[in-house]
Amino acid sequence: MNPIRLIAIKERQALLKDQRGLIWLLVFSIVLSTFSLLLISNTELSLLDNAQVVYLLIGTVTAAGAMISVILGSDAFAGERERGTLVPLLTAPITTAQLLVGKAVGLLTAWAVMYLLALPYLWAVGAGGQNLLQAILYLALFGTPVVLGFGALAMALSARTGSVLISLMTSMTLLLFSAGVPLFLDPSLRDSAIGKALDMINPFATALNTYDSVVVDSEAFSYQLLRLVLGVAWLCVTLIAARQAAHKPSFR
Amino acid sequence: MKCRMTLLLLVVFVLSVSAAQAVDISVRLTPDKENSGHPTMGDTLQFRSRITAPSDRPLEGVVAWISLVEIDPGQEQPVDLEDWSAHKAVFAAHLEPAEELDSTWSVRLIKAGDYRVAISVMARDQAPVFTSPTVKFHVFQKPVVESRRIFPVAIGVPLLLLGLLGYRWQASHRRNPI
Repeated sequence: MNPIRLIAIKERQALLKDQRGLIWLLVFSIVLSTFSLLLISNTELSLLDNAQVVYLLIGTVTAAGAMISVILGSDAFAGERERGTLVPLLTAPITTAQLLVGKAVGLLTAWAVMYLLALPYLWAVGAGGQNLLQAILYLALFGTPVVLGFGALAMALSARTGSVLISLMTSMTLLLFSAGVPLFLDPSLRDSAIGKALDMINPFATALNTYDSVVVDSEAFSYQLLRLVLGVAWLCVTLIAARQAAHKPSFR
Repeated sequence: MKCRMTLLLLVVFVLSVSAAQAVDISVRLTPDKENSGHPTMGDTLQFRSRITAPSDRPLEGVVAWISLVEIDPGQEQPVDLEDWSAHKAVFAAHLEPAEELDSTWSVRLIKAGDYRVAISVMARDQAPVFTSPTVKFHVFQKPVVESRRIFPVAIGVPLLLLGLLGYRWQASHRRNPI
């Protein structure tokens, strides 16, 4: 069997059949359930229209997806090393590039499962409102580079440092910073030249701005092209970093 | 008596001078014909205003802005327009005598209830504020998030995963009983 496929299947099984993977999915669904129940129990939130709610939900799905992706990515090389399975893997007839692609496909599968889990929630809060289908489509189109990018970044750090803890802490800090800037920075500050530049290089802000533009403001795909390019560029940069790091993984 | 007459004349003079300087700006406000007859939360209503400068003098630095007031009994209060309208004011640097300034105001309906909307105008050199007659409208409630859809999903999906987790745990426990 193709080694990439073999590793991807192993990663998929770790998520869907292993108890630890299922616990992550359970946590993911509890986050979405809490958010949905909050909407109907809070008077202020229940005044939001469907588009606004769908926008908030797909932002939450992207953030939670990126978090789980970071956790899985941090485990990719350093976890193998800590379990003592990295050396047998590297001595097997498989290149580091194949190993990386297999792990990346595993991440993609994990994201696909989370995406599928999010669909009933999106239907529950957004049915009958505007732009639900667009929200589902744009979550796939713009959420995927963000989620996989953070996973690849975690894989790069995981291979470079050889420590699950260090790669997890570093990637999680970067993710929190990336997600926190658009949430906590005042809109007037984000309108300044520096704020706009920060938004441009922040993959999470790029995805959130797209969701807002499409779901709330009903703007066309042509407005989103530059953002899509930025999202794909983020994914490419992190994948290249992961590939560079995977060539010489740390055994310390 | 003579002193009182002088004072009265002075008051009349001051009032007449003030009246001559104050000019009436006419402001009209009408709902758009295309507006929904049953406006509900999430809809957008449009209102058209026409500001007419006085016929005898130009106006400089004219600013018009929209105001919205909730008038539900016990809830009477001005509404913060942040979510309701992105277009909150218009400005005209100069209006010739009798010149008209037409504007369209979009209002996104965020909350159910009874409201009155008005346009106010002032010019740089005019002390008074001129306000259009108000237009009343009612926003119908729209259930934005439906609990009957959310409950089964919010409870069902974690339960399903919990069941799967329990099944996996039992299966692995059967394979490795110790």
